[in-house]
Amino acid sequence: MRPAARALPILASVALSLCGRALAAETTVRIGACLSLTGAAAVYGAQQKAGILAAVDEVNRSGTLPGVRLEAIIEDDASTKEQGIAVFQRLIGRDRVSAIIGPTLSNTATAADPLAQAARVPVVAVSNTAPQGITDIGDYIWRVSLTEGQVIPGALKRAQAKLGFRTATVLYGNDDAFTQAGYNVMKGTLDSMGVKILATQTFAKPDRDYNAQLTALIGQKPDILVVSALVENAAGIVAQARQLGWRGPILGGNGFNSSALIKNAGPAAEDVLVGTSWNRVSPDPANQAFLKLMASRGFEPDQFCAQAYTGLLVIAEAMKLTGKTGRDDVKAGLARVTGLLTPLGRFSFLPSRDGEHEPALQQVKDGKFQIAQ
Amino acid sequence: MGQQIINGLFLGSIYALFALGYTLVFGVLDILNLAHAAVFMLASFFALALSTQLHLPIAGALPLTMVLAGLLGLLLERVAFRPLRGRADSNIAGLISSLAMATVFEAIALEVWGPNIRRFPEGTLPAATVSFRIEIPLVGGSVSLLQLAVISVAMVLVLGLTFLVRRSRLGREVRAVAESPRAAQVLGVNVDRTIAASFFISSALGGAAGILYGLSYNAISPDMGGSVELKGLAVIIVGGMGSMPGAVVAGFALGLIEVFVVAHLGASFRDAVSFAALFLVVVLRPRGLFGAASMREA
Amino acid sequence: MLDALLSFYDSYQSTVAYVGINALLALSVYTSLSCGQLALASSGFAAIGAYASALLTLRAGWPFPLVLGVAVLLPAVLALPLGLPVLRLKGVFLAIATIAFGEVIRIGLINWAYVKGAEGLVAIPQKTSVWMIYLLLAAALFVLGRLRGSKWGFALEAIREDEPAAQTMGIPTGQYKLSMLVLGAALAGLAGALEAHFTFMVAPNGFTFRRVVDMLVFAVVGGAQLYWGPVAGAAFLTILPELLRDLAPRVGIEPGPLRLLVNGLLLLLVILFLPSGLVSLPRQVRRFRAARSPE
Repeated sequence: MRPAARALPILASVALSLCGRALAAETTVRIGACLSLTGAAAVYGAQQKAGILAAVDEVNRSGTLPGVRLEAIIEDDASTKEQGIAVFQRLIGRDRVSAIIGPTLSNTATAADPLAQAARVPVVAVSNTAPQGITDIGDYIWRVSLTEGQVIPGALKRAQAKLGFRTATVLYGNDDAFTQAGYNVMKGTLDSMGVKILATQTFAKPDRDYNAQLTALIGQKPDILVVSALVENAAGIVAQARQLGWRGPILGGNGFNSSALIKNAGPAAEDVLVGTSWNRVSPDPANQAFLKLMASRGFEPDQFCAQAYTGLLVIAEAMKLTGKTGRDDVKAGLARVTGLLTPLGRFSFLPSRDGEHEPALQQVKDGKFQIAQ
Repeated sequence: MGQQIINGLFLGSIYALFALGYTLVFGVLDILNLAHAAVFMLASFFALALSTQLHLPIAGALPLTMVLAGLLGLLLERVAFRPLRGRADSNIAGLISSLAMATVFEAIALEVWGPNIRRFPEGTLPAATVSFRIEIPLVGGSVSLLQLAVISVAMVLVLGLTFLVRRSRLGREVRAVAESPRAAQVLGVNVDRTIAASFFISSALGGAAGILYGLSYNAISPDMGGSVELKGLAVIIVGGMGSMPGAVVAGFALGLIEVFVVAHLGASFRDAVSFAALFLVVVLRPRGLFGAASMREA
Repeated sequence: MLDALLSFYDSYQSTVAYVGINALLALSVYTSLSCGQLALASSGFAAIGAYASALLTLRAGWPFPLVLGVAVLLPAVLALPLGLPVLRLKGVFLAIATIAFGEVIRIGLINWAYVKGAEGLVAIPQKTSVWMIYLLLAAALFVLGRLRGSKWGFALEAIREDEPAAQTMGIPTGQYKLSMLVLGAALAGLAGALEAHFTFMVAPNGFTFRRVVDMLVFAVVGGAQLYWGPVAGAAFLTILPELLRDLAPRVGIEPGPLRLLVNGLLLLLVILFLPSGLVSLPRQVRRFRAARSPE
């Protein structure tokens, strides 16, 4: 073949690839997520992963950030602080993410977030609900999830308006920062409401037998049983309480907020009351769009999914507001997020970098979470 | 109060059954089989698999799973204990190799079933077993049919084992080997086979405890052995290593004590009681309540 | 190039630090193993060191070197009243008593409101640096190395080989065993304090029975005959999960179970076929080759 003819295909392919590169002139921006995909919090982590991936696809599809393609790097912290630290280090050092979503558990966050703070990487917590020890780590730590301090008081007051209880017994997990914090809020709220706490019992995450504690609590004949637990324990507690013959109301903290509760406790979950950050029947267009999107992906979302989805939206909004995608840009942008339309409602950050929006009270009816009337 | 006694007996029956298998192996071989809790856990998963995949009714699944657990015991003996027999450090080495097997078992469970909690599907047990409660007069309190069934099965197995050891030829051989393997061999006992049989029985019992536990609390996970492995240790030490009546009495006692400690002192102290008791017994009276006066070199 | 190395170091700094910390913990079990005692109290002593150091840093603002000093001394002192009753127990019973000790410490911490119970203490400033860990580890190895060739070392070996015989020979076995328990406690306390000031928090669930079992595995797999065996074991078994994490998808097994499976199989193989641990592998291979060579 003559030399010129041989050169032509080469020149052509070079030209084409240059064209291709010009067309695909987007930059890929990585957002890390440290989630509990295994371990005690695995049920929540799975929901969060779905929410984040859905949000990333949605943001990329809708062109919210022109010229930018978001990519989620999701890693498992196995619900432990050691893995959480290792994951944060990889996300910060090796993957060079612009922001980190998570970790799932408040327990892990208290260990891992300080690393991000020191490395000046913004963290958006989407399920840490312990009032202290999260956003007070530093100005790079932000929170989308309402704390137990923001949800439980409202839930208890609404429940009391509905049921009029005067005495209560409390059961909580004392080996987890989240359930412990939840208990502190419950106790404080009940005291301030003038409700007498007749007895208090504890359990630990690995426990499966709650008969002794429940027998002692039910024996006091309270008007309501209040429980602060992660969902795996919650299911067992609710089932055993009903088995022991407790017919009265049960109110749970944020850990109850999972369809796994209904699935695992079965009919025993009926009528359980739970405060929630996410009003799933809200007619807000942002919420309806979210529900439709998740349905089209064949996924049944719960509060954790909605919060994780919102967390990614908030980061995207921060990037949009500053027009840039670097770590400090995201941090600056987060401070400017106000009134953002999300599945959780109109979202803003408080000066403390905690989230703010309206919480609600739910009750399990006919095997589903409904807004309590 | 009566209800708490029933709660305690229920919990205690599972502890007793678990400890029985534990102490049997120690009595025969002078070795602590730390993989016992892993067998407990795997048996629970086997029962779950049999009932969900093969749709076996639970009454059929229980004996079959016990046999499977027994086979695991045979595997354990063959792989982790027999090669060490005769070695000077066999007790410590046995401890460590059983620990290794426990880790392997846990890894298998994690890989096959995942780390999350599994449950028996609805309808495995008729709803009445859980919701229908029988009032016990005099004691006060009620027990569900399921709890009654668990306690009964545990008692049947305990009595069955006692009968086996006291009356049967196998039982005599086991006792002979426990006393002195060399003497037993001279007397014509097939030591290898007897030891294997002991492991089979021990693991079958541990497996039964696992199945009953899984059914009672309907929460099966690869880490469920953790809740009983150290408690079981406390039970056999306090009861006396190698003593079967000791394991049973201490098992029920621990169940009752735990329930009352939880109700009156708080759940956080529950485990402290078993370990404090364990520590005191080991230091002050290592042979436990019913153990043999002469503790052989451990 | 330097950039890539630095970024690599950043992300794996945690692993590198943990190799050092785990080495100290493995050594804390080794000290008793070296005289034939299966004492599994290290998780309890590590907890004491970790919590004491955390409290001194957070509540009293002591300088770090002083804090580390307390983390070494306090467990060592507490090892005395523990050792006296339990060290006369044999084999399995000693193991059980020390396990019970560790559990009692853990449960005590869960119930102690001053240290926030099960939640633990958080926001501990990160004062540990990797060079610090390795410097202290080197110091510990130096001490253990000196022990080995000395009269002390021979006594320990005699006790390990045959305690009654050693006693008959007039060796005060009780004193030696106690001193090794004390040394182990000091190492464990040090490791606990270093870890607490590295991971920003301490909690009771970091000091479970499983934890001390891990330490035992490091020591046994590495080799409990020589003082640097546990270090090799700790290094190997700490780095392995990181390597396996990338390998797992290719083998088709999840990283978590794969790590456990490899740990379990390694431990089994070592205890059955290589009781002196991995570090004795070169020696065994040489022996094997020598036995096979046609001479």
